[in-house]
Amino acid sequence: MARMKFYCDAERCIECNACVTACKNENEVPWGVNRRRVVTIKDGEPGERSLSVACMHCSDAPCIAVCPVDCIYDTLDGVVLHNKDICIGCGYCFYACPFGAPQFPQEGAFGSRGKMDKCTFCAGGPEEDLSAEERRKYGSNRLAEGKLPLCAEMCSTKALLAGDANVIADIYRERVINRGASVLNRGVSYQNAAFRASRGMEGKSSMKK
Amino acid sequence: MGRVLFPQNVADAMKGGWLFLLCVLMLLLLVTSTAAIGAETAEQAQAIPVPNPSADLWREVRQRDGIVVGKTQVAGVDSGALINPYGETWRNFRMQQLIPYSGYLLVGMLLLLLLFFAIRGKVKVNAGMSDKKLFRYSLYERMIHWFIASVFLFLALTGLILLFGRSLLIPWVGQELFSLLASASKEGHNLFGPVFVVALLLIFIRFVRRNIYQRGDLTWLLKGGGIIGKGHVPSNFFNMGEKSMFWLLVLLGIVIIGSGLILVFPLFGQTRVTMELAHLSHAITTLLMILVIMGHIYIGSVGMEGALDGMTTGYCDLNWAREHHAQWAERCEQEGQVVSEAEVSRLRGESSGGHIPPAGAQESGQ
Repeated sequence: MARMKFYCDAERCIECNACVTACKNENEVPWGVNRRRVVTIKDGEPGERSLSVACMHCSDAPCIAVCPVDCIYDTLDGVVLHNKDICIGCGYCFYACPFGAPQFPQEGAFGSRGKMDKCTFCAGGPEEDLSAEERRKYGSNRLAEGKLPLCAEMCSTKALLAGDANVIADIYRERVINRGASVLNRGVSYQNAAFRASRGMEGKSSMKK
Repeated sequence: MGRVLFPQNVADAMKGGWLFLLCVLMLLLLVTSTAAIGAETAEQAQAIPVPNPSADLWREVRQRDGIVVGKTQVAGVDSGALINPYGETWRNFRMQQLIPYSGYLLVGMLLLLLLFFAIRGKVKVNAGMSDKKLFRYSLYERMIHWFIASVFLFLALTGLILLFGRSLLIPWVGQELFSLLASASKEGHNLFGPVFVVALLLIFIRFVRRNIYQRGDLTWLLKGGGIIGKGHVPSNFFNMGEKSMFWLLVLLGIVIIGSGLILVFPLFGQTRVTMELAHLSHAITTLLMILVIMGHIYIGSVGMEGALDGMTTGYCDLNWAREHHAQWAERCEQEGQVVSEAEVSRLRGESSGGHIPPAGAQESGQ
């Protein structure tokens, strides 16, 4: 089986927030909940980078470990899913998660938490695949349709990658190698990203020899 | 470098025997120092500075001693924090420390009380129960006592269900039934938590005067409340142990209430780290309080003869008071507040609900 992962390439992310919007639209998430968000580090300063973050579908997921009712589980694809019928909205997964992925719609007065909602890797929930109930509770199940999460599929710069960890890692590794030349030359990676020596590189590196 | 030198060495070795010897030595050196050569080439590669913005970014985001907060279009507390490393700390606290050790402590306390009961047995009133009574707790005092007692027991039970349910109850009742129970526990805990604030406040206001430490309390402590040595240690309305429990209740209660309110109302912009810390202190202080209350319940029920009467009927036995609260009993007797059992039943029987206590019985505690 595949081991599903997200990877966000900070050198490509342009903070367009399309992944956030696509996710909200595709999964019809509860009001006040964003399964995915784009965070910009050093906004407006040199070295500004953006990253799109959602549930990272951890191999040893803290949320699974701490849930008092044991409602979170991982599938054979390595996707971390949860059962909203069992969830009691205690917020423990939210404390434990490093990425702030689990979120709670405000259910009643005084900010009391409803059932937890988080990214499902577009893989629905424990209900029957593609059933109406699954759609209502967890949003779409694109994995069952043979598709990948919409946020990554429609990312215009292909910064956000989703899929089998090995494939994602290969793509990213290739990108890093390709960028190497231009990084050596100019100190930026998104220009002249190609696996050949850039113009004006003579005397700066040993790559030409 | 080594590879270039090697053929030269061979050529030199052809010229003279001593050079050949040197060459053999060099060869040996070369063979043994392959690792060193590898390191050398790595150094050469490092000599060319390769800026890697991605690595810098991740290093910054994943620093372990703080949280990098960026900007995001998504509204919400903490939504700008990419990685919160303290979540893992909290997870380890809950799973590796809190759940096992609190389990050991609670079971240990229970066993300790059983052991104590087996050795010491019920603490009897030496002079036997008399037919004389002293008025000890008014209806209002008994009401707020049983009010905080029931609220506390409910909160403790629901809290323990949430803490131990997954490991103890799910294997028995199954996930779905336990989910119902846990959901009810969570809602009940959140509902009655703020009620506990009121209860503790009422208890504090009513009992604080009689719980101020005074002369004789140190003697009581040194004699271990009568466990060490023979005979009872004289004390006032409340003894040193009761006073300490009161203050522990108040101080722990303040922490429990503060942390509980942080957790129950997640709408004042408190961050995850704040809530993790609040949960940690809530867990530790409530555990301590449960342990203390276990001792309180033991000594107030099966542990001591005549101890429960004051809190159920309002009147305690005169002999019990003489032995356990000598100073208070003496004062009451001097003031002539001793009532007969017949009088008590008349008072309790005639006036259904609000009977009139002998004046000044309470205030004699101070």
